Amino acid sequence: MTSTSRLQARGLTRRFGATTALAGVDVDLADGELLAVMGPSGSGKSTLLHVLAGILPADAGTVTLEGRDVGGLDEKQRSLLRRRSYGFVFQFGQLLDELPAVENVALPAMLQGTSRKDAVAIAAQWLEALGLAGKEQRRPGELSGGEAQRVAVARALITGPAVVFADEPTGALDQQTGHEVMDVLTRTTRAAGASLVLVTHDEQVAAWCDRRIDMRDGRVVAGPPPTPAPPVAAPPAARFETGAPVDEADVATVAEPAEQMTR
Amino acid sequence: MNVVLALAPRLRSAGGQDSRVITLLAVTAFTVSTALTLSVVGGLIAFQQRAAHPVGDLQHDSGGFYVILAATALVLLVVPLLTLAGAAARLGVVRRDARLSTLRLLGATPAEVVMLTVVETAWQGLVGALAGVGLYVVLLPLWAMVPFQGTTFTPEELWIGAWALLAAVVVPLLAATSAAISMRRVVVTPLGVARRQGDRALSWVRLGALVLGAGAFAVGTQVMGMFGSLAVLVMLGLLALGFGAINLVGPWVLGLIGRASARRARNPAQLLAARRLASDPKGAWRVVGGLGLAGFVAGVLAMLPVLTASSGEQDEESRIILQDLVTGGMLTLGIAFLLAAVSAGIAQAAAVLDRRREFALARLAGFPVELFDEVRRREVLLPLLVVGAGSAATALLMLLPLFGTAALEAPQGLLLLIGSLTGGVLLVLGATETSRPLLRSVLADPVVRAD
Ligand SMILES: Nc1ncnc2c1ncn2[C@@H]1O[C@H](COP(=O)(O)OP(=O)(O)OP(=O)(O)O)[C@@H](O)[C@H]1O
Ligand SMILES: [Mg+2]
Repeated sequence: MTSTSRLQARGLTRRFGATTALAGVDVDLADGELLAVMGPSGSGKSTLLHVLAGILPADAGTVTLEGRDVGGLDEKQRSLLRRRSYGFVFQFGQLLDELPAVENVALPAMLQGTSRKDAVAIAAQWLEALGLAGKEQRRPGELSGGEAQRVAVARALITGPAVVFADEPTGALDQQTGHEVMDVLTRTTRAAGASLVLVTHDEQVAAWCDRRIDMRDGRVVAGPPPTPAPPVAAPPAARFETGAPVDEADVATVAEPAEQMTR
Repeated sequence: MNVVLALAPRLRSAGGQDSRVITLLAVTAFTVSTALTLSVVGGLIAFQQRAAHPVGDLQHDSGGFYVILAATALVLLVVPLLTLAGAAARLGVVRRDARLSTLRLLGATPAEVVMLTVVETAWQGLVGALAGVGLYVVLLPLWAMVPFQGTTFTPEELWIGAWALLAAVVVPLLAATSAAISMRRVVVTPLGVARRQGDRALSWVRLGALVLGAGAFAVGTQVMGMFGSLAVLVMLGLLALGFGAINLVGPWVLGLIGRASARRARNPAQLLAARRLASDPKGAWRVVGGLGLAGFVAGVLAMLPVLTASSGEQDEESRIILQDLVTGGMLTLGIAFLLAAVSAGIAQAAAVLDRRREFALARLAGFPVELFDEVRRREVLLPLLVVGAGSAATALLMLLPLFGTAALEAPQGLLLLIGSLTGGVLLVLGATETSRPLLRSVLADPVVRAD
């Protein structure tokens, strides 16, 4: 057991009927590491992300989070694990339409038991940190696609997750907006000390991560040479200090952006 | 017939299990509304026949009055009946969302998608109408057990004849029109994401309710000459006016209450349910509005025993008429409850499917299943209680001055009120539980496709 891996997977296999979506995949994700997962359509990227995140059980193989085996948990425990220890950013449509942005962000914190007042206050700080000050009361339908994804990023980070999972989070945006959101996502995830598993088709975005793996037919294949070190794009919000690690994500409490970012 | 329409049967199965559930719900709604409409119209015609060929003093003296009463019941039930049919048709919009991607891959234009859904809704309307006629026939012996004017109707009297088949034309037409109208309110973003727009088009329903109410009142006044009981007339007028007013202010009140409870909400379930109510009070009203009517009728009914009691020594004829008023009112109430329950079940299913992506993704993010179940329940319960209690209170407030404290001294009335309201609330809640398996299947979907 490696002590440096926050999330570790060994020999993951997953079949759907006759299709083998994962055919023995190993993954190591270090503390605060940003990992890009690339590969052609149907190569098993989403399945890998789902299995790593405890959304789908694996047919064979193990997943450990911070040394704890999380592969054998039942559905209820996995749900709790996802809520407590992970954050998610999906392509679109994850925000609840009837809630204003700030309450969408506050909701996971409220589910952890934070009072509504505190949760909303912290959510507002997150929105401000992500450049959405003044848009707290907008409903998702009143936000642009890029703004909605930033709200989703805030929602994923508010619980101070150990790992953030993002499956083509900018797949529904134009390239320019997509890059802005990706920049915010990678930057704030780093600042919060969370690790990131990011499925993307975009080479440039992959280059902002610390490492990438390439998949083909359910296997990790030797990809192109390791990408040169972190961010290439200029930060849109200069106050984020990149790479500030947080030693231990406290899963039971709510993360405040200001505190995390200046650490 | 173009390619897309030719493909319709194939596409129908593309939606999988949800699609079958939706079809079943829509057809059920059309069936229930058809059967109940035919039953009520059948009753009206039967009373007309009796009035035209009276047997005995009662039918001779008061036949016309009974026709007016039956017509009033029909008027009262028109709005919930149309609401139910409309809710069924609206399910089509949800279907379209689910199917958009498939159709787009086939190269269908949005207009073709609309057309496909309208045609499909009309089909459901047709199947529902035919099943509804069948259900009406099955119900005839049941209605024939209810005594009116001191005797029961025979099933033949209540059977409206070949006219019943008219439903097979009217219902599909209404369904198609309603589907087309609901569909216009959905805009499609370039990515194929259907985004709902603000629902602005409901004012005509409220206006319609008012016109109907006023109409009933006018008709009621006409009867003055035929029947001397002023109290009953005033009551009918109040009923119509009160119903109109309730429909007018109902959504507004629900919106207010939604905002107030959103401010007070402490936990996620409370917050979600309240925000939902605040953001779509008209939608919530569609679900519980039928119960609003029923609650109001219950409130009025609660007064009838008082009326009976206070009339002291009365002749046989008045006794029967009063008894029939209670019977007729209870029937109307029961039908309204049934309509409210079916509407609620359907609206809940549509609400779950509308938000299937948000729900499924929230579930992936680890939101507990219980949260969604609780939200689903609260979403209905809150407006239900507000509306049921509110409309019954309105009725009592309007009628108390008429009868004074006598109303409170005869507890049967209040018991009837409380009992029937409780029953109605339970019925509606039970109906919303039918969306539970649907919610589970939406939540269990582990792969939410991006496109
Ligand atoms: N629920 C499922 N049922 C059946 N087959 C599935 C299911 N989910 C995934 N698959 C299959 O598993 C394989 C891998 O799918 P996966 O979604 O992981 O691919 P992906 O790399 O994410 O592709 P994309 O880039 O298109 O999102 C594909 O062949 C897919 O058809
Ligand atoms: Mg994928």
